[in-house]
Amino acid sequence: MTQAADDPVLLVHAYCDGELDPANALALERRMAEDPRLAAERDRILALKRALAKVKPAALPPAGLRGRVERAVGMRRVAPRPTWGALAASIALAVVVSSGATWSLLGPSQSGLATDEVIGSHIRSLMADKPFDVASSITHTVKPWFNSHTVQSPRVVDLEADGFPLLGGRIDVIAKTPVPTLVYGYQKHRISVTEAQGLGAPPPSREAAGYHVIGWTDNGVSYWAVSDVGLAELQQFVKLFRAAPTSQ
Amino acid sequence: MSDERTRFANVVLPHLGDAYALARWIARNDSDAEDIVQEACLRAYRGISGFGDVNARGWVLSIVRNTAYTWLKKHRDPKLVAVENVEDVADAATDWDQGPAAPDAGLIERADAARLEAAIAALPDEFRETLVLRELQGLDYRAIAEVTGVPIGTVMSRLARARRRLMALLRKDEE
Repeated sequence: MTQAADDPVLLVHAYCDGELDPANALALERRMAEDPRLAAERDRILALKRALAKVKPAALPPAGLRGRVERAVGMRRVAPRPTWGALAASIALAVVVSSGATWSLLGPSQSGLATDEVIGSHIRSLMADKPFDVASSITHTVKPWFNSHTVQSPRVVDLEADGFPLLGGRIDVIAKTPVPTLVYGYQKHRISVTEAQGLGAPPPSREAAGYHVIGWTDNGVSYWAVSDVGLAELQQFVKLFRAAPTSQ
Repeated sequence: MSDERTRFANVVLPHLGDAYALARWIARNDSDAEDIVQEACLRAYRGISGFGDVNARGWVLSIVRNTAYTWLKKHRDPKLVAVENVEDVADAATDWDQGPAAPDAGLIERADAARLEAAIAALPDEFRETLVLRELQGLDYRAIAEVTGVPIGTVMSRLARARRRLMALLRKDEE
């Protein structure tokens, strides 16, 4: 539609939605500076967008919906609980093997799988049309977005001054659970930080398929940082991430 | 789990919250929205082998949207379904310096969530879905064009007119 491209009001809307390329945005900014009616329209649109941000957290899906959908397509929601016999057998096994081996049998096997899924999610996000579900460098935008998508809002820190700008966030599914992932930039690379609880302690450091993974636990919450940046840069990022104050 | 179910769990389930929110905005009713999402998920499950691994969220939302309109046509009294042909209505966004003056930015920004929700619910279907996909679900113009099956130019004019109507409704509330 050529009409849309020529209509200055539609262009002001596109400008407010971040849909104009830099050259067109610049040209429109000049026009708005000269035409107070266009500038007033821009102010109204931005005011409306800010007001609409208050509506966001309203529509949470009802608790039973996921189960209903899973039943409809023939998926089981809850894995069958282990029988007492199986449970007793696993306890017997745990007693027989040494305590160190028990830890590696029970704890990290689940978190090892989780680490594979974290790497998989990172790689998939690099190939995706849109690498994030929410694209924003503003911590105030990213946090409530997670809240409004039924995922617990993750710890968000501002590391822009250190060369790691926040790019956005997405929801990954790790061990069948939706978990929040933040995406930071470093030069032309991306760093995914996934936060989860109850998946066991992540392995401290691993390399797989050309990606480095660093895992750690703070206050009972497990974190995985994945990227194709060098190990030293990723270690530096993790150090800054853990030390930074949480954005409110 | 079968391959289809694993794929369904990876592709569709992460967007259940968005699917429900969109269905709720289109149907304007919570229990209808649940039925619509269930029906849409069944359709998505049956069509999962045809999904090409590009933009799962857009794919899921377009199925939800189409299911919602089919569902509403089937289950609701046709008299209650809006018949206004919005594309013909002469309130083009370009008439912006005619008619009643739009409210000032301060008044718009002070509008509370409940009033805004009521104002969004009062929009015609085409305007409402476009506004919701942009402002509440954060889709860009191209993705909205794909989900709603119209050219980007139409997305732009619908969005401008939806916002214009919201502003006018907020002004009316104030008077």
